[in-house]
Amino acid sequence: MAEEELEILEQSELSLLETLDHVLARGLVIAGEITISVADVDLIFVGLNVLLTSTETAREVLGERQTRTQGLEQRAIDGGALPSEGSNE
Amino acid sequence: MSLYAYCLSDEVTALALETIRGVAGATPILIEHEGLAAVVSDYENDAVSVTRENVLAHERVVQQVLAQTTPLPFRFGTLASEARLRNYLATQKSALCTQLARVRGCVEMSVKVIRGTEAFESESTAQDSTTREEHQVAADLSGGAGTIYLHKKRREMMGDELLKERAEEIAGWLAERLASTVRESVVSVRPKEMLIVAAAYLVEVARLEEYRERLRRARDERREIHFLTSGPWPPYSFSDLSS
Repeated sequence: MAEEELEILEQSELSLLETLDHVLARGLVIAGEITISVADVDLIFVGLNVLLTSTETAREVLGERQTRTQGLEQRAIDGGALPSEGSNE
Repeated sequence: MSLYAYCLSDEVTALALETIRGVAGATPILIEHEGLAAVVSDYENDAVSVTRENVLAHERVVQQVLAQTTPLPFRFGTLASEARLRNYLATQKSALCTQLARVRGCVEMSVKVIRGTEAFESESTAQDSTTREEHQVAADLSGGAGTIYLHKKRREMMGDELLKERAEEIAGWLAERLASTVRESVVSVRPKEMLIVAAAYLVEVARLEEYRERLRRARDERREIHFLTSGPWPPYSFSDLSS
């Protein structure tokens, strides 16, 4: 992987991926007590081998986000209001 | 009603938790048993969703405790009844105390090495050799399809060996450069994946600057390697009682 490919990950996304890598895959376990629901994942997370798997996903997500933003901007130009950034996170 | 468990400590005080909010906005509290305390908060549902908000809330609470003392973090999503948690503290007390002593005064620092273009060059060199050899084998007609297949497999294995050797060499080199500043390490070498080395180092807080300086020098030494470094983390990689 070329270094520039990693640079497409925003710093906050990279921090989140690193956090996921730590909190989801490691730590104390009380046998039988892990009850994570993955039904409504809203992250760019696709597996426990988070970081590199997610690089490609991140590219897609960031690409989609850019497309979505452009769409929203177009709607704003057309007379609609922009939702807050956080609502799509 | 379940409890969401964040971490364990024998030094944490409730004071450290007063101002923060955990998963589902709940205030963390302590469940104590003979000097051990589990940091938990009330949780009403049966499962914890992997959402950005929940993951960050978990990490926020554990980091808050880390600012005061080194805890043993629970894996994200740990739910237990109070009775189950108290039973866990009682039955695992000895192992938990040993583990707490092991990480006391330390944080976890993470170094990941990402497969770079030079690794692909090694692969492509091996593949080029494969192609040449296949052609040679095919040209002299001394072997059938089975022979060609075996030659190809041998070359693939040699390519895998090269990647494995390279990943292990990097892991060894890194360990050697950081050894004097690291108390313990958990290193995973995965030559066939994009993330070829994932290392977690247990570093005493007092030696963090020294660790960072050594890592900086190591990175300068081998600029062709792509690193991803992060920390300080709670000792997630050093909290597993089964290890």
